Formats: sequence, C-alpha cells, structure tokens
Amino acid sequence: MMDEPIIRYEKIDFLGEGQFATVYKARDVKTDKIVAVKKIKIGSRLEAQDGINRTALREIKLLQELQHINLIGLLDVFGQKSNVSLVFDFMDTDLEIIVKDNNIVLTPANVKAYMIMTLKGLEYLHQNWILHRDLKPNNLLINREGILKIGDFGLAKAFGSPTRINTHQVVTRWYRSPELLFGARQYGTGVDMWAIGCILAELLLRVPFLPGETDLDQLSRIFQVFGTPTEEIWPGMKNLTDYVQFKQFPPQQLRHIFSAASDDLIQLLESLLAIYPPKRCDCTQALQMPYFSNKPAPSVGAKLPMPSNITKLETEKPSLKRKLLENIDGGSLAKRLQF
Amino acid sequence: MAGNFWQSSHHQQWLLDKTDLIRDRQHDLNILTEEEYQKIFNFFASIIQALGEQLKVRQQVIATATVYFKRFYARNSLKCIDPLLLAPTCVFLASKVEEFGVISNSRVMTTCQTVIKTKFGYAYGQQEFPYRSNHILECEFYLLENLDCCLIVYQPYRPLLLFVQDMGQDDQLLTYAWRIVNDSLRTDVSLLYPPYQIAIAALHIACVMLGNESQKSWFAELNVDMDKIQEIVRAIINLYEMWKSYDEKKEIQGLLAKMPKPKPAPQR
Repeated sequence: MMDEPIIRYEKIDFLGEGQFATVYKARDVKTDKIVAVKKIKIGSRLEAQDGINRTALREIKLLQELQHINLIGLLDVFGQKSNVSLVFDFMDTDLEIIVKDNNIVLTPANVKAYMIMTLKGLEYLHQNWILHRDLKPNNLLINREGILKIGDFGLAKAFGSPTRINTHQVVTRWYRSPELLFGARQYGTGVDMWAIGCILAELLLRVPFLPGETDLDQLSRIFQVFGTPTEEIWPGMKNLTDYVQFKQFPPQQLRHIFSAASDDLIQLLESLLAIYPPKRCDCTQALQMPYFSNKPAPSVGAKLPMPSNITKLETEKPSLKRKLLENIDGGSLAKRLQF
Repeated sequence: MAGNFWQSSHHQQWLLDKTDLIRDRQHDLNILTEEEYQKIFNFFASIIQALGEQLKVRQQVIATATVYFKRFYARNSLKCIDPLLLAPTCVFLASKVEEFGVISNSRVMTTCQTVIKTKFGYAYGQQEFPYRSNHILECEFYLLENLDCCLIVYQPYRPLLLFVQDMGQDDQLLTYAWRIVNDSLRTDVSLLYPPYQIAIAALHIACVMLGNESQKSWFAELNVDMDKIQEIVRAIINLYEMWKSYDEKKEIQGLLAKMPKPKPAPQR
C-alpha cells in the first residue's frame, strides 16, 4: 500500500464533494482499473494538528476488516504530508440518482434486488457488531454490473457494549429513527433498520417518504403515518432525553399510502418501520420474510436499470467498458467474497 | 471492536511465523544479540506504558500501541525510525483507533517531555525529548503504511475475562493473569500467537504461581493445542528469568548506544 501515490492514480474526473472529503474518479495505472479516490480534507489548522483525520481512520480500520460483495471495498490508502486519500472500488451510480431519474422504471423485481443486496451487506455489518449509522439512498452505491455496495463508513461504529454512550446526532434526518430523534444514547441495529425502511418506501414512492424540515417536524411526520405512540406501544419512551409530547395522531394503513405494493412488501415495510425499536426486524429476519421468496424474482446484474448517461459513456468508449468488465470479472475480490 | 477474529486482519495477516520473524530481524541481530534486542524492546514497552499511564488511556490502548510498535519493527530495522519517536506515535494512533477520547498532539508532546525527564532520566540523562509534533504527524503516516492499514488489534484481555468467568470467578487469579498478559507485551508472543492462546498461557502461569491445583480439570478439558500454550508459557518465563539478572538502569545507556540508528541526515 501507499506506493508511488502520485504516479499510480491518474485523475480522470471530479465526482463530488462532501463535508469531509472530495472524491475523484481515477485510473490505477498499475492495474488499469478505474477507481474512486477519496481525498480527506485537512480541515482547519487545529484539526491538522491532530494528525490523520478520525473519520478517515474509522473508515480505514473498519473496511480493512470487512469484506463482503455488498460493502464497498477499500483498495488502497496513500498519503502526502498530512493529507490522506482512500482508494475505493469505482461505482457508477447510487440509489439516489436512480430514484430521482424519471427515465428509469423501477419494477417490483428491481426494488427487490436492491433490498436483498442492501440487507445482505448490512446483515454482514451487524454480524460484525458494526452499525452503519448513515444509511441513505446516496450511500447505496451501484456499479454497471448491477451490484449494490454500501458505502461511506465515516460514521460507522462498533456497538453492543451496554455501557457505551453514543451520540444521537447521526443519520441524515429523513432516515433517522424515532428513538434517535428522541435523543436515545443507547441504541442498536434498529437505527439502521429504520433507515432501510425509509429507503424502501422511497423506492416505491420515488420521493423521500418522510422529508422532515426540522427534528420535531420529522417526528411529527413519522407519527402522522404510524400514529403517535402511547406508553403501551413504546414502554420507556417518555424517559428519553429529548422526549416531547405530540398531538395524538391515529395510525394510517400503509397499504393506502403504498397502494401499488403487494401484501408481502407491506408486511416487510411494517416490520422495518415499527415505532418501538425492539419490535423492528433485524436483517436476517427481514431476509426470511415471504416477500423475498415470493414472486417476482429479483432482477439480477445487468437487468437492473442504469442512468442514461452511463449507458452513453459505454457506447462512446467501448474499449474502456471492455477493460472495466474484464477487471470486474477477473477481480479476485468479488469471487473470493461470494458467499 | 468486537467483530470476528478469525476473519480479521490480525488473524489473516499479522500472526507471523517465528522463522520469518528472526530472518527479518537479521540486520539488527548482526549488531545486537537476541537478548540485547529483547532488552531494548522491553525498555520501549516501558516507555509506551508510562506514556499511556500519564495520558490516562486505558490498558487496551497501551496494549494496542505496543503491538503496533512491535509490528513495525517486525518488518523494519531499528535504524529506520528512532524508537523514541515511534513509541509516542503508536500511543497517539492507538488512542484514536480505540476511540477512547481525543488526545491532542500538543498533550502528547508535553507528556513525552515530562515522562522522559522524570521516569527515564537513567537512560537519557539530561537530554530533552528531541522531537516536535510535526515529527509525530509524519511518523504516524509511516506507521499506518507499515501496518498495512491494519489497525484493529485483538487483545487477550477479553478472552481472559471470559475464561476466568468460566472457571468460576476468581479475582486473585484474574489479577495475576492480567498482569502476566501485560508482561507478555514485552515478548514476541503478540506477533506469533492468537490472543486467546496468550490468555490461556497467562492463566496457566498464574495458576502455577498461586499453587492453584483446583483448575487442573479446566485446563484438561480445553480443546486447544497445548504445545502452543507451552511455547507461550516458555516465552513469558524466559522474560521473567531475564529480569532476574538484569539491571536496566545500569545497562540501558550502553544498549541504546549500541542500537542501530537512523542516519542523521533526512533519509528521503
């Protein structure tokens, strides 16, 4: 790792900028593979004093231990002075782009395929006692092979220690679970499961399901759909740090909101979006629900849709595409990890 | 991190083979005897321990830092980086990885200055801690690179707690075995054996020291390679034997003088 960084990765394109990093598309000269290079921002002078950025360290330490076809792969890490860059599998698109693309039809088989891949990746994470804590469509990355990989582990953290106090300021608001919104400091896999439920709902509606404008508005939107929980439904709710009393909303029938969804899908949604955290299903339980064994079968690989600009790129540069495919086919990583 | 040891980088990449380890140390062992080499590592393990205690980090952080230190020199000669610079760097990185609170670089620097002066004057005399914070920052990168970015280290403490619980909670036994695990950081066992085996070996030594016969059946029922356990026991006992006839305060200056050192000019 970290050898000849400047020569090794040739910048091709700017991909995006986040709070902590800038991401570029690049060619790995050594393997001729297309990769994503995430350059961690140095931040203030004060932060630079603390050496390698914590968010980057968290990503490095976790991804180094985790290998799963549905998790983004960390290929390399290199640095210049106090600047770290992480090299990841290149992913063509993400679920946010796909959901927003009006030219793409998401069939029930497509939705099922995305859900299976997400849940399998997340199941593996949870089995390794790691919470992702920032699941949203934008972090579910998809390549032109139709493989979905969970990305962005900057907020991920080990869980399970009963004494560990966590921060509740995690997860982008629209995907944040009610217990986090009420300020819970001890939480579990349920926060990721709730986010998955919101993502599934978004795949069906093609707009964010609960786009709250403030944390209170977020809770209000949740309760308008699922009903304001009582002490019977959620024992201990009133003891949470940021608990506030809400107007009594009656629960709605999910089948009225998702009128086109099949019964088995509604069942899954209800289980992912259970208000009382212990009632929420975990990944293994979710994957065993009838929805995943019933028809239609999930779309596989290339049958999944791609935004049009990515297809265009393929026709324009056939040689590049061929090389990419070869790389992915011959990639030892994917094969080794298939289980 | 909890996670799965068997699929971890620790298990898959960082349990080294003894002959490989000795071969990779050849360069240093041309200059130092094996015993002198061990004494130098013993000394720097003490520095890491003292820095960690002064910074009030948990033993887990100290143990991880010590393993980083050993992993680095498992692949590099002592002359690649002055161990006096690498030791605080390991503590700095380990405290971030283990997520037990923030230690600012400036706090690390002042701690180094104090600890070297107050606790290790017998080795460094009136000499000040010679490095600045930018050295640690640069060294941190070099360390990360040489660790192959493998940052999660599994320690024997958790398996030790589980084993003692299984034996039927014995606080005295736990205290002894815990200290033996701490001592084991001054040997090569953390590079060569999985942590659960080190925990069992530490328990074994503790039982013998305490004359505790009642746990014989517990050991007999273990489904574990007893030869490996014996190898670990021997390595730790050898350390205790070495300590008996070793006066660090007298010898360390000579050893440090003999130690292979980086060239004074910048290397790169």
